[in-house]
Amino acid sequence: MSLADAAGSALWPYVALIVFGFLPSEIWRVLGVVLSRGLSDTSPILVWVRAVATALLAAVVAKLVLNPSGALAAVPLLARAGGIIAGAAAFFATGRNLVAGVLTGEALLIGAAWWVGQG
Amino acid sequence: MAGPSWQDRSWLWQGARAALSFPAWTVALALLGVGSLARDVGHPIGAAMMSTVLIWAGPAQVIFYAGLATGMAPAAIAVAVSLSSIRFLPMTMSLLPMLRRPGQGTGEQLLVAHFVAVTVWSESMRRLPDVPQEHRVPFYFGFAGACLLLSTVATGIGYHLMATLPVALAAGLLFLTPLFFTLSVTGGARRAADWLAIGLGFALQPIMLAGLGDGLDLLGVGLVGGTLAFLVGRLSEARR
Repeated sequence: MSLADAAGSALWPYVALIVFGFLPSEIWRVLGVVLSRGLSDTSPILVWVRAVATALLAAVVAKLVLNPSGALAAVPLLARAGGIIAGAAAFFATGRNLVAGVLTGEALLIGAAWWVGQG
Repeated sequence: MAGPSWQDRSWLWQGARAALSFPAWTVALALLGVGSLARDVGHPIGAAMMSTVLIWAGPAQVIFYAGLATGMAPAAIAVAVSLSSIRFLPMTMSLLPMLRRPGQGTGEQLLVAHFVAVTVWSESMRRLPDVPQEHRVPFYFGFAGACLLLSTVATGIGYHLMATLPVALAAGLLFLTPLFFTLSVTGGARRAADWLAIGLGFALQPIMLAGLGDGLDLLGVGLVGGTLAFLVGRLSEARR
């Protein structure tokens, strides 16, 4: 099989990337192009699709905060959730300033991670 | 009738400037870690940077390289990557109608779709309504292109840098993704239905993870939470 032949070669990282990374991911974007054909931008279907996307994104956040990987897993849940809440609070308190939100959330999380590492 | 190209170029730059004013840096920093993951599995730096250009989805790239690191079967990696990227379907569908222009071919639509990622999508949904319809496509390509370019460079830097980073900072970089997603999505929320979708998305995830398992959980949350939020939004608007 050609994939097996490729496995040993210097091209393998690129072949694997395209076949097992790029194509399985890109298929959803291509499908999005196909399915958006003929949809007017005031269609109620789009309002629903946007709500689905929004709920899905919130779920991605919940997943990354509740089941983190790597160095983030060593930081207590309280600090992870606290970082999100503090970041959002600073974001809205400053009139939706992204820089203020990101810096506040990050300061809390990195501070907690540093403190846990010390203890 | 085609718009003068100097005007397109000016909107392209405006988009790039909007991205470089901050959002592009958070995406780029968040993708530093992918470089080091690629290095851990012995892939060349070119493949690591190409993963950002081609996959353009932090979580999928992490699954891809972490899967290789733990010896997952390639087919299983492909399935996990695909499940994690389902969000691009509703995101692409809701963005494309905002970026239509006369004479737009399939090629341009596929290129628009390829640049879709959480930051690009949520910031575009927020900013594009203020951009005149005929200038949206160059603005979008400027914004998304700047994010992608900076992130690709960051992936290459992370390839060499991450191993030497203190743990607290490494945790901070990983935290950028959920933090920025939260601000970007809540920042774009306008109606009660948007807030309901966000709240349901957070609340339903642990339940769907327990019920559907790791992979289909996100799709389940999107369909159930999004549909509920949509229906409640319609009912409350109809009552008004």
